[in-house]
Amino acid sequence: MAKKTYDLLFKLLLIGDSGVGKTCVLFRFSDDAFNTTFISTIGIDFKIKTVELQGKKIKLQIWDTAGQERFHTITTSYYRGAMGIMLVYDITNGKSFENISKWLRNIDEHANEDVERMLLGNKCDMDDKRVVPKGKGEQIAREHGIRFFETSAKANINIEKAFLTLAEDILRKTPVKEPNSENVDISSGGGVTGWKSKCC
Amino acid sequence: MEEPPLREEEEEEEEEGDEAGPEGALGKSPFQLTTEDVYDISYVMGRELMALGSDPRVTQLQFKIVRVLEMLETLVNEGNLTVEELRMERDNLRKEVEGLRTEGSAAGGQVNLGPDKMVVDLTDPNRPRFTLQELRDVLQERNKLKSQLLVVQEELQCYKSGLIPPREGPGGRREKDALVAKTSKTSSNKEEKTIIRKLFSFRSEKQM
Repeated sequence: MAKKTYDLLFKLLLIGDSGVGKTCVLFRFSDDAFNTTFISTIGIDFKIKTVELQGKKIKLQIWDTAGQERFHTITTSYYRGAMGIMLVYDITNGKSFENISKWLRNIDEHANEDVERMLLGNKCDMDDKRVVPKGKGEQIAREHGIRFFETSAKANINIEKAFLTLAEDILRKTPVKEPNSENVDISSGGGVTGWKSKCC
Repeated sequence: MEEPPLREEEEEEEEEGDEAGPEGALGKSPFQLTTEDVYDISYVMGRELMALGSDPRVTQLQFKIVRVLEMLETLVNEGNLTVEELRMERDNLRKEVEGLRTEGSAAGGQVNLGPDKMVVDLTDPNRPRFTLQELRDVLQERNKLKSQLLVVQEELQCYKSGLIPPREGPGGRREKDALVAKTSKTSSNKEEKTIIRKLFSFRSEKQM
């Protein structure tokens, strides 16, 4: 009678400078909506979205971090549990691109070694205000051996593709096994406890 | 004809201003001496030396006295200039201190605390009040409650769509929580069912 609503649970994390659009990217993916008003994320938040890949129901638990430095100690404690990390910059904000190396260093310091990384250049709908050429994003991604997409949460460009690609990459290195029925405890990262598969 | 007496009067006034005239200069405190006083002293001493006559020893002494008086004149002059300079400097510093004081009080008593310090306005309702740890705890609780809400919403959806018959729900959950003890669970389920059957059979028999 007890049937899980998903086969696998992937924990993803969004990081990057404040204001690059991490929350909007996530909101577009989870709710297919966009909001122009900027509300700075306080500390950490999360959203859930279940997707189907290769016949498997995969529950994505996506953690959205505050980009502001003052939340740094809170957000970095969530790196450890992440299986995939999306590093977002803003193509109209050169500083956010320069800081990529800083964020990559944070990943090295705080995340699991085998974490799947991805670079996103967001706001690609605003080409008139672009200061970071697409080639520069591609180059830095190549240097670090990670995937790269230019996205727009506003215009809904590449958002779903990015999340699904990241999930696929994680799925590829996930050992095939029966879906475990253990509680998915993410309290180690200081987050949600008691995630349980539900019967239905 | 009227001018000379006038001049005399002026001189008298000046002398009064000098308090005791040429003789009085000798009674003054050395710190209050002016070059005028030194000239007065020279005048008095010169007059007294003249009275001693033209003895060559007096003449010799006169040269020395003149020299000493010149030295005194230089010292008094120099001393007075220094005093005047210091007085001006003191007045300037006083003005500067006053300016800084008013500037400081105008800035609301702002104190330079150092590079890593910050002043909190206790009257500001939006002042920072909570620690990072407190924020971390609140966020953790929020996220925990949010996850529980999602679980409950999901479960509610299951009931709504009729995937779980209302009565079996709690049993199903218990079974899932203790998957390892599945066998014992099913047996206890059977037990439950028999009890329930016992309880309900009577009623259903009646209804039938």
